Amino acid sequence: MLQAIDLVKRYGPVLALDGFSLSVAAGEIVGLVGHNGAGKTTFVEIVSYLIRQDGGHVTIDGRPPSASRGRVGVAPQHIALYPSVTVREHLTLFGKLAGLRRAALDGAVEELTVALRMGAFIDRRTAGLSGGQQRRVQAATALINRPGLLLLDEPTAGADLETREAMLDVVKQRAGDGAAVVYTTHYLPELVELQATIAVARNGKIIARGTYDELVDGLPGEVRLIHDNEEEVRVSTTQPAATLIDLLGRAERPISTIEVHNPSLDDLYRSLAVSDAP
Amino acid sequence: MLLDTGYRAGPAATLRESLYRIRALASNNTLIRLRDPGQTISYVVMPMVLMLVLKPLYVRAVEGGTTKVVTGLLVMFSVFAISIAGNAILAERTWKTWDRLRVSRAPAAELLIGKTLPIYVVMVAQQTILLVYGCLVIGLPIPGNVPLVLGAILLWAFTLLAIGALLAAVVRSHGELSVITDVGALTLSSLGGALVPLSLMPEWAQVAAQASPGYWALQMLQAAVVGDTAGVLLPAAILLGIALVCGVFAIRRLTRGWGRGGLL
Repeated sequence: MLQAIDLVKRYGPVLALDGFSLSVAAGEIVGLVGHNGAGKTTFVEIVSYLIRQDGGHVTIDGRPPSASRGRVGVAPQHIALYPSVTVREHLTLFGKLAGLRRAALDGAVEELTVALRMGAFIDRRTAGLSGGQQRRVQAATALINRPGLLLLDEPTAGADLETREAMLDVVKQRAGDGAAVVYTTHYLPELVELQATIAVARNGKIIARGTYDELVDGLPGEVRLIHDNEEEVRVSTTQPAATLIDLLGRAERPISTIEVHNPSLDDLYRSLAVSDAP
Repeated sequence: MLLDTGYRAGPAATLRESLYRIRALASNNTLIRLRDPGQTISYVVMPMVLMLVLKPLYVRAVEGGTTKVVTGLLVMFSVFAISIAGNAILAERTWKTWDRLRVSRAPAAELLIGKTLPIYVVMVAQQTILLVYGCLVIGLPIPGNVPLVLGAILLWAFTLLAIGALLAAVVRSHGELSVITDVGALTLSSLGGALVPLSLMPEWAQVAAQASPGYWALQMLQAAVVGDTAGVLLPAAILLGIALVCGVFAIRRLTRGWGRGGLL
């Protein structure tokens, strides 16, 4: 569905993308992670045709972004809503801009109202909504016409638990229906819940890609023991459980605290960031 | 299964789709205008009050004082209304909604028409209301050539819209826009003879007045009100030229978006 090859983008002296390549198949969720400035939002803006790349090329279902307007649902990082317009009026506007009419439009509004749990505030102006509610409205405007490609740029940033749950449910459902999803986030556990393929961006390029299991395989976790005399033992290991058993067998003093830290996506990111450091 | 939107290529279908989207955009922008009408109301009410207060002064000071007070204040407060256009367009940048629209299926031309059409209607309505008020309350003779007056109003509103769009495309904040529109509007419209009749202004100001769009708008409207078609032509041509230059620049800027270079 989405193919981006060797994208290059400069902002004056700053090289925002430096050979950024990423492909996303229909029905696939790709979690795009990376520090601020890694190139995630620039990539989303190029695919959305908001900005043009300086090099490389992008196709969406075989077409360039310029020919794919309306076929891509975009929920940008920042809230971008009309303060004096109600939630329903937002959905109606973006639905109509996507070409939806009458029954199809009403059906899409109703479906998203339920799926994103917006019933309680559907006729309220967005200026009066909480940050989490605004996030849901913003996502709904991107989802309204069931686009084949979804670009969700930190859709749960600063959101409450209800928003996060609703958002993840809808994203999983849309991917299940065949949409390709690019989901940028700093909340790495969300990507595990979405069973997303994870792509790690750093310095304007993708430095690793794979499933969670593939990427964390071989990464060291940590076992931490604290004895009652408050002596602390920390062991970095690729096999935390086996190491813990070994340490417990050799312990000579009572133990007050045991912590087993399996390798996480944060560890993965740190390890990739270090190994890729210039 | 993805939704079938019913979109099919072909000239007639393309036109229908285009009109459908423009209507959706215009409806949204009309809603926004209706829910925040303060600025528009003040630019209608203030000149009405001033016309009543200043009419005796104009009538005593110059020949055709009634016409001059109505058209002068109409021009002055229609210039102030540039800020309505500017703020409406700039707000899309502040709210970051313009880029949301640019991602939609609507091309740039539709976005601009949908955005500016309600503002244009507001500007035309403001001028029409003031002119009708001038006839009914202030005593302006009812124009003999109504289509000529209407044409003059439509052109002047178009010029103001283009100037407002240009300003919105280049300023960095609402504060900056406010300074430019308030100071600029007062200066240009006063200089153009909208506040004090030109004949009462110093000689240098009468020469400098020709640099102001307000001057040409005043000439055009005063000629239109008395049915002087020939007198309308030159000012109309000059205002059209100003509108096209400003409009083209604004369109170029707005269709590219503000990007990350914007300060907002």
